[in-house]
Amino acid sequence: MSSPVEARRMAVFPRTLYVLTLLLALSVLGPWPLLTAEAGDKLVVYSGRAERLIKPVLDEFQAKSGIQIELLSSGTTELVNRLQAEGDHTPADVFLTNDAGSLEHARELKLLRPMNMREVERAIPSQFRAADNSWIGLSGRFWIVVYNTNLVKPEQIKSLLDLGQPQWKDKIAIPNSGSEYLQAGVSVIKTTFGDDRTKQFLQGLKTNAGSQVYQKSSQIVDAVAKGQVAAGIVNHYYIYRHLAAQPTAPIAAVMTDQQEGGMGAIMNVTGIGVTRASKHVESAKLLIEFLVAQAGQKLFADLDKEYPLHPDVKADPALVDRRSFRAALVPLAKLAELREPTLTLIEQVGLR
Amino acid sequence: MLTVTRVPPPSPLQWVSLLTAAFLVLPTGYITYVAVTAAPAVWTRLWSTRIPELLGNTLSLAVSVALTTFVLGVSLAWITVRYEFPGRRMWEWALALPLAMPTYVLAYVYAHLIGMGGPAEQWWQMVLGPDARLPSPQSFVGVTIIMSLDTFPFVYLLVRGALQNLNISFEEVARACGISPWVTLRRVTLPLIRPAMAAGLALVVLYVISDFGAVSLLRYQTLTYAVYQQMTSRYDHTAASILSLLLVIMAIVFLATERWFRQRSRFYQTSGRYRRSTRQHAGLLGTALLTGYVVLVFAAAFGIPAAMLIQWSIDAILQGALDARFLGFIWNSTFLAALAACGAVIIGLPLAYLASRRPTRLNIACLQAAYAGYALPGPVAALAVLVLFTHFAPALYGTVVVLIIAYILHFLPVGLQSMEPALQQITPNVEEVARTLGCTTRHMLRRVTLPLVRNGFIAAWVLMFLQTMKELPATLLLRPVGFDTLAIRVWLEASEEYYQLAAPAALLIVLLSLPALMLLVSNDWRGHAQEGAR
Repeated sequence: MSSPVEARRMAVFPRTLYVLTLLLALSVLGPWPLLTAEAGDKLVVYSGRAERLIKPVLDEFQAKSGIQIELLSSGTTELVNRLQAEGDHTPADVFLTNDAGSLEHARELKLLRPMNMREVERAIPSQFRAADNSWIGLSGRFWIVVYNTNLVKPEQIKSLLDLGQPQWKDKIAIPNSGSEYLQAGVSVIKTTFGDDRTKQFLQGLKTNAGSQVYQKSSQIVDAVAKGQVAAGIVNHYYIYRHLAAQPTAPIAAVMTDQQEGGMGAIMNVTGIGVTRASKHVESAKLLIEFLVAQAGQKLFADLDKEYPLHPDVKADPALVDRRSFRAALVPLAKLAELREPTLTLIEQVGLR
Repeated sequence: MLTVTRVPPPSPLQWVSLLTAAFLVLPTGYITYVAVTAAPAVWTRLWSTRIPELLGNTLSLAVSVALTTFVLGVSLAWITVRYEFPGRRMWEWALALPLAMPTYVLAYVYAHLIGMGGPAEQWWQMVLGPDARLPSPQSFVGVTIIMSLDTFPFVYLLVRGALQNLNISFEEVARACGISPWVTLRRVTLPLIRPAMAAGLALVVLYVISDFGAVSLLRYQTLTYAVYQQMTSRYDHTAASILSLLLVIMAIVFLATERWFRQRSRFYQTSGRYRRSTRQHAGLLGTALLTGYVVLVFAAAFGIPAAMLIQWSIDAILQGALDARFLGFIWNSTFLAALAACGAVIIGLPLAYLASRRPTRLNIACLQAAYAGYALPGPVAALAVLVLFTHFAPALYGTVVVLIIAYILHFLPVGLQSMEPALQQITPNVEEVARTLGCTTRHMLRRVTLPLVRNGFIAAWVLMFLQTMKELPATLLLRPVGFDTLAIRVWLEASEEYYQLAAPAALLIVLLSLPALMLLVSNDWRGHAQEGAR
């Protein structure tokens, strides 16, 4: 075949296909405008926390420090998996999330960088940090029972384990077994009461909840408020969030397991760590300093009605006074190693 | 010249198709590898705890949604093509609108409306006393209805297209031979639109088994939902891979069945003597019933949820939810969806063409390979792509390229579903004539094949565009930092129960999908092509 024919063929190749190919080539070859910006000096934050609850704090930091922040919000475990898959190529500088177990796991995977910061050691008690400060707790949250005040009297629930009893059949709502809080909570119960009682408890929960297994704590609070179920297990702040929107909702919280010798309320923290691959460690340090300082602590905790970890910062007055109840004694860093056996237990029971 | 065209050398097209197929099969291969090499203990644990329930739930949902969409889709297509009723032209395209509504949006609107304590229940209780309960949307029936309302347009559109292209002469001949209308329907019309019905139902079933958003919002445990839970709660993806493998097998079995159905009935349109069917009037009562039915389905599938979204959006905008960032989200969503759809059409073309024109075992296998991606749940497809890219092409990782590839992998089958029947409807004779007249392959494609299949390809493009626009799990896992789409915005807000704040983004998805949908259902290009053929 001679070249003129070739040329003619090219010329008559359908226009539409050309346009399509061109568009595709553009995406492959053309530098994405947003991507070139990403490679710059921005501090990239991977956050497992609801965006609405973290963005205002980051905006405040951005305004104060002039450091631009790029935020990626997603699920906690998804982010750990993503960090691991990305390895040294990760664009993330900071990992911030709601579960100490996940943070500790990220540390074990060597995804986080040990930090030496005097400000942190002064502000945050050591039980709320990793031993090498590769993650630092910022605020505390408790796994509590929410109940409908029209259907339940508070003295009916003393311990979390009560909800596994047969009288609660079809009356409770629980989070699904994928929730990091549930896993952390079960780990604490397992450490306190041993495998057999935990298994019994989980079996009870499974029977009692039936199909009332929710993806989100907010849905559980909603179901309780509507009287669809009498009680549910959630993180404490969801109750206050619901009450803020609907002040007359008939719901209240029980801090469980407070009796003499009891387990204590199950605690978890929201924490932050700097990634090992980060190229903006100084900026990341500034962010951490901002968050552990008194003003930052207040801002960060109040946004989600959590308990600040800085001993001198007071929690939102709407919350149950932190000094009025005890927390369970299982160290947060242990949550990571407990997770795998806990998951096995959860799966043996067949929780959804 | 003749000999050259009769015995073509292994064409470059074949190579392209082979390479594409190999690439498309990689993620599935990766999942299979992880699943097969898993410790037997993991398998037995899953078999004894989750798998029977999940398989049962997934299969029964697929069957029930398929039946419901079949009834809805075929009846609506029949009504709009064969009957004349007030506002027919408007309803004709309005019935495709649910395709623009993401299933998770439909799910959350209905969870709110008919869920416990919702407006519908309050109204119900006012009528029937305080103890009256509505059927819960979080039940098998509820999920079936919601999924069917969202997916019936697949069947509706494809069957409608087939009915419009159907040469009425076939039916007239049957009637002239004294065969009753029912028998004509059963023996002539239905077999002729069977490939379209099968293709539509295939889309529905694939959609249902791979849907994540709606089932998770309605708490109905399917395999895909379980995979997502496994992936987001565990660091180790063995269990997720095993469940995904089951899904892939399920999809392959299903697609093979569908193909078998289609293979047994191959029809070619003879456009030369094509005659369109005329529309009937159903009488006063009949027309009222028909219109009522159409309006009811439309209201349930689109009207009511859209109204709800508009109301929420107004509230949210008054609260200041709409800011300049939305322009970026809109651009990201549309551009991504358009790119993915273009890429998929280009990639799908050789596969579909070879499989329907030269259905050798190899070519068909290549095509089937492409279908594997659709059954791969979004998060799993994303994970596989992520791992493959970080290993083999780290430079591309974290760019939109990765995201687009995941979309293509995931949605190419949707496109192939409509590209293939389009290709099958052209008589091979026409192409052979073109070739004997000395056309080269490329020439023939351009002058003969492409103009004839254009409609099918536009449909493929639009379907993939719409699906990509709504896609959630893969986008969540693979989006570059600082690159949020509208679907992500909906998810970020809706998953925290800020339904009002999620509404503007959801509404925008619907609005942006409208032009594409119009293109899909407008009679212009279809009529045009037929005018040209006549």
